[in-house]
Amino acid sequence: MIARTATRPLRSPATGGAARRTGPRLLLLPLCALLAACQEVLPTAEGDDLVRAGVAIEVTLPATDFVDRVRVYGGYGRTSELGGGFIAHRFGAGAGPDGTDDPGLEAATLLRFGRYPAVVTVPDTAGTSRPDSSLTFLSGRIIARFDTIGSVRAGPVAVQAHALTEPWDAVSATWEHAVDTLLQSVPWSSPGGGAVEYLGEFVWDPAEGDSLVIMVDSARVAAWADSTDTGRGVRLTTRVPGVRLQLRSSLMWIETIPSLNPDTLIQVLAGTENTTFIYSPQPTPPRDGMRVGGAPAWRSVLDLGVPGTLNGPPALCAELQCPVAITEDHVSYAALRLTTHAERAAFAPSDTISMDLRMVTVPEILPKSPLGPSLAGLAGVVLAPEWFAPPAGEIVEVPVTTLVRDLLRGETADGDPVTGTVALLSAFEPLSIEYVSFRGLGAGAGRGAPELRLILNFARGS
Amino acid sequence: MGRAVIAVDRIAGAFVAIALIASIAPRGASAQSFLGFRALGVPVEAVGGRATSLGNLGIGLPLVAVSPTDPAASARLLAPTITVSMQPSWSDFAMGDQNGTSRTTGFPFIAIGYPVNGTGGTATVSVAGHMEQRWAGERTENIRLGGVDVPVNDRFETNGGTSVARLGYAQPFGERIALGVSVGTYVGRLNQVFDRNLDSLTVGDDVQPYSEEYLWDYSGYTLAAGIALDPHDLVHIAGALEWSGDLTESPRGETVGAEKSYGIPLRLSAGATGRLTQRLLINTSFVYQDWAGVDGYASGVLSANKMSYGVGLEWRAIQQESRSFPLRLGYRSGAPPFRFDAEDPAESVWTAGLGLNLVELDGLPIGWVDLAVERGSRTSLPLDENFWRGTISIGISQF
Repeated sequence: MIARTATRPLRSPATGGAARRTGPRLLLLPLCALLAACQEVLPTAEGDDLVRAGVAIEVTLPATDFVDRVRVYGGYGRTSELGGGFIAHRFGAGAGPDGTDDPGLEAATLLRFGRYPAVVTVPDTAGTSRPDSSLTFLSGRIIARFDTIGSVRAGPVAVQAHALTEPWDAVSATWEHAVDTLLQSVPWSSPGGGAVEYLGEFVWDPAEGDSLVIMVDSARVAAWADSTDTGRGVRLTTRVPGVRLQLRSSLMWIETIPSLNPDTLIQVLAGTENTTFIYSPQPTPPRDGMRVGGAPAWRSVLDLGVPGTLNGPPALCAELQCPVAITEDHVSYAALRLTTHAERAAFAPSDTISMDLRMVTVPEILPKSPLGPSLAGLAGVVLAPEWFAPPAGEIVEVPVTTLVRDLLRGETADGDPVTGTVALLSAFEPLSIEYVSFRGLGAGAGRGAPELRLILNFARGS
Repeated sequence: MGRAVIAVDRIAGAFVAIALIASIAPRGASAQSFLGFRALGVPVEAVGGRATSLGNLGIGLPLVAVSPTDPAASARLLAPTITVSMQPSWSDFAMGDQNGTSRTTGFPFIAIGYPVNGTGGTATVSVAGHMEQRWAGERTENIRLGGVDVPVNDRFETNGGTSVARLGYAQPFGERIALGVSVGTYVGRLNQVFDRNLDSLTVGDDVQPYSEEYLWDYSGYTLAAGIALDPHDLVHIAGALEWSGDLTESPRGETVGAEKSYGIPLRLSAGATGRLTQRLLINTSFVYQDWAGVDGYASGVLSANKMSYGVGLEWRAIQQESRSFPLRLGYRSGAPPFRFDAEDPAESVWTAGLGLNLVELDGLPIGWVDLAVERGSRTSLPLDENFWRGTISIGISQF
């Protein structure tokens, strides 16, 4: 064997230098290998012995365990923001849900057309196209397009057209008021549009298309040419009971004779400056229950308090020792279970409504609090109209997994603050004159009051 | 100019060494197996490329070196020496009708020896792998939720293990005897993650996976003593014993769980090397460790096998004045301490390797690289594992 010498170590310039130069290079070898072989694959096999025991429990909490209060607020948005209109007469009339006589919905669409074109390029008598600003306007045709699915009427409907005569504000007009702003309130001389002048009755047959043509004589066309006249406009109504038509858009074609070529008739377009609708009666807030949708829109606000420990149900306590503390990690799924309620038929949905859920970020300033991002996804919770027809009572699940996890965590996953106050609202506000209703706390546990469905997971053993 | 070059080399060497140590610390050693999934896992052979390619169990090899398992081996170190080893491995397994593969790269050990002026001895520090648990289990089943069968996929992943950090000292007595001692502490972490995914088509789009993490720390102490003898110029013999206190597993952070203690039996090891010709060496080594007699483990987990052995040949194919290139061949039979199921496990490994002693001074390597390749199998029915494993060891003196 080799014994250490007394004079150690012997370092010749050649070998010592070589070692020093070789060392760092040698050490680079495993470093390179480490970088090249850093991907790791664990051996993985299926087997009950290899996996911890998991416990999954479904728990349904009654409203008393997680809802402190329910409030319903209305008045979000305006009918004019809908971009369309409704025409209705005694729609949904009959016995109301509370047994009283419901006169049904009366609704009228108000249209106002914009400035007529001042210059038109037309071919003159020699066939050369030239601009002509000296136009003579003749008659007009209003084309109204209806939503054939959103309109509740199977057959032809007679629609009455009237010219408005009283100044009205297209943004704030209601059934009772021509102007209804914070600073000014001017009622119609009679509800529903005030004094009007009859233009005619026109029949829309859904079987023949989605458009209704309303003829306007030259005198009326000339009168509406004054764009400073805030009283100009058209009111569309119907006298057919049980009808509710939804108007999507409208425009007016005007026939004109150019001065450059008086033998030619030209049609020019007058775009719609304002479209709104007015209706009666205005729905009142529900005494108990929740409401979502409508125009102006309704929102239902719930104050939630998700418990951090559970003392039941028995199935949970049988698996795990109660009380069981739950954290956000244990919640795999959470959903609000709401029971549909049939309210007035006048505002009952005729088409699917998309419902959203958002956190109320500053509950103290409700109903004007800003809301957080959507918790129901892009599409929201899609509600079928038949769920809200009598007798209703359908269960609707609104997923709230992220919200419940945030509440149990005390903050969002990003560290932002959370509140237990959430608002149920339509995905777009306002979306329609229609709204949906759900049973409230007064319905009682197991009879339609809100519930919270939780799927909890636990691991145990080792 | 020369001093400047040397300074730059030293800085570069220190930088690379620090980078290596920093990269080694979190990666542990390389051993992936389902063996011992109910206990501490599978043992890590904390030996370098030379020992690996000879089927050696870490004791009884001639020539000075820093070895975590041979306390006296470094007694005659001439200069500061660092040795580091890395192991990429590729495994496949069969378990009943299941089979699969795995791969990983790890570092069995890193060791540094530093001759102590005036005493003639050498102080050593090393970090070496001890046990490792790296595997994942999955389970697919239906659970009943709200009257509906919900498909569920569970995954339980275990990643971690234990290592031993040792501080040692080896002293030569004359030219034929050397003694060494070391004290060590068990260190290590175990991360376990349980993931559960419920079928979103059954539950709802908003269903989120359930994940729970369990973190454990290991601690404990160990003492070792060894002797190296050269009774004849052609024979080298070494022996060591290592005593360990209980290995304690403690919950870390927010992990809820009871502290557990695992007994570690006395480890007796011995090895010998004989020179058959000027260029040919034969080596054999043994390890005795009776795991069946210790406490702290679940019933039926411990193996009754106690003895591991290895044997190998080293032939210096090329021998030059200041460098040599030995070829090595070996076989090792191991006795993993923990069963997979009811059968005692057995490990069988064929080994081969190549040494690159790039710089030698008076027959002592100053800079060297040892490469080894292993083809082995572990069996504890119904588990049957096979693996290819490479080992790259780097050693540098006078750094």
